[in-house]
Amino acid sequence: MTEIEVKNISFSYEQKIPVLENIAFCAGTGEAIGLIGANGAGKSTLLKLLVGLDLGYTGEIRVGDVVLGKKTLAAVRKKIGYVFQDSDSQMFMTTVEEDIAFAPRNYGLSREETALRVERALEQVHIKALRDKSIYKLSGGEKKLASIATVLSMDPDIILMDEPSVALDPKNRRNLIRVINELKGIKIIASHDLDFIWDTCERTILIHNGRIVCDGDTEMILRDKELLEANGLELPLSLYIRR
Amino acid sequence: MNKIDGAISQFQSMDSMAKEDRWMNQIHPSIKLFLTVLFIGLTVSFPKYNLTGLFGMILYPFVLFQIGELSFRESLYRLRVVLPIVCIVGIANPFFDRAVVTRIGEIGVTGGVLSMLTLMLKAVLSVLASYLLIVTTSIEKICYALQQAHFPQILVTEVLLIYRYISVLLAETRRVTQAYHLRAPGQKGIAIGAWGPLVGQMLLRSMDRAERLYQSMCLRGFDGTFHLKEKSHVRRTDILYLLIWTALLLILRLFPVLEWVGRWFVR
Repeated sequence: MTEIEVKNISFSYEQKIPVLENIAFCAGTGEAIGLIGANGAGKSTLLKLLVGLDLGYTGEIRVGDVVLGKKTLAAVRKKIGYVFQDSDSQMFMTTVEEDIAFAPRNYGLSREETALRVERALEQVHIKALRDKSIYKLSGGEKKLASIATVLSMDPDIILMDEPSVALDPKNRRNLIRVINELKGIKIIASHDLDFIWDTCERTILIHNGRIVCDGDTEMILRDKELLEANGLELPLSLYIRR
Repeated sequence: MNKIDGAISQFQSMDSMAKEDRWMNQIHPSIKLFLTVLFIGLTVSFPKYNLTGLFGMILYPFVLFQIGELSFRESLYRLRVVLPIVCIVGIANPFFDRAVVTRIGEIGVTGGVLSMLTLMLKAVLSVLASYLLIVTTSIEKICYALQQAHFPQILVTEVLLIYRYISVLLAETRRVTQAYHLRAPGQKGIAIGAWGPLVGQMLLRSMDRAERLYQSMCLRGFDGTFHLKEKSHVRRTDILYLLIWTALLLILRLFPVLEWVGRWFVR
């Protein structure tokens, strides 16, 4: 299985103000990692760097044996599925099925293999009934699940998700947690919804002002009130209730 | 429902119609595309005073509306913005060409009026033929037909992307105008002073969204080529449909069929 290794990544946009500084971590087989931090901490930027949406960083990102760079972009992207925060920005074909089949067709898979991948992706996120539905007519929760299915059809080793729980009602949120927990492979989920991270990830990386403040067991980090508050976060709501 | 919601709904409805399982929808896309191009080509090739001959071409949209189980009224409603514009074509002709070329009873009809009517009918028929293609063939199938016709790949991709971005642009327009109206209650339309920033915002947002969509495509292996699902085979019915229409359209273009019919009745 593929591993992902981030070695001392630093990145800044044009203003030369560092967005990420010396980020380093490693993720192994089957790990689910939560990237937490306040707004503007650099979570989404880090995810974008991991799929090579911006290559202007210093340091090294290694996916399996491949170092991410201009020449290896296609090979790396084949292994990584990226779920956008805004599902509307992710899907563009006319129906759910067409959108899910987009990646397998681009990777030159046969019609039979493409059909199989579509079927499997729909099953994995439990949306078989939405197969022929127009993407304009999906609800928020359906869109989120469909957008996950669009990357699952790539059969990725690593799945990155940017704020997957945003704008979901409790039922859809619970459904999404169940789906994510059923997924195999490395999962890296950026979110400031700490309850969501609590339910989906066993390991958490806390980022503040572009630096990793803490990397460890989710329960340990999310129970640390002082640590969270010092970095612009608060205890998960579920822990407040339990108290 | 405001105008933009209406436009989005119309757009989605046309998209859904193209995906229905009707007889017309099942005709091979390449054949429908070929016939549409042939029809438009033959229609515009009529001489400017040959209004009678051009009337015969109405047969094509008329029959297609019938066998496609499509509503003519609905299509006129959908084309309400385009039709007046195409009707403007040739509106100046009556002022330049004043020679009387024929008479209806005592009334002399000038060449300008005749050529104006011919031009208008040509434009309306061409628009109707394109509309009939769009509502019976999904954009993927049209693009597949273009690929089959060896159209440059870049053009096919452009067509698909433009079609996709129409809905993106409409959705952004809806969001921006809704946000405006919620903070300008009771105001009819949009104040002139707000148009500049509003259009600017819309453009920036659309570009931003288009950029994200493009990123999403690249992350899923897009290399500039759309790999379309359609790989349908031409059936016997399709060939029959093609032959009958090609023959009929050529007869209507090459021979004065309506004149013959008229003379037969007068006799």
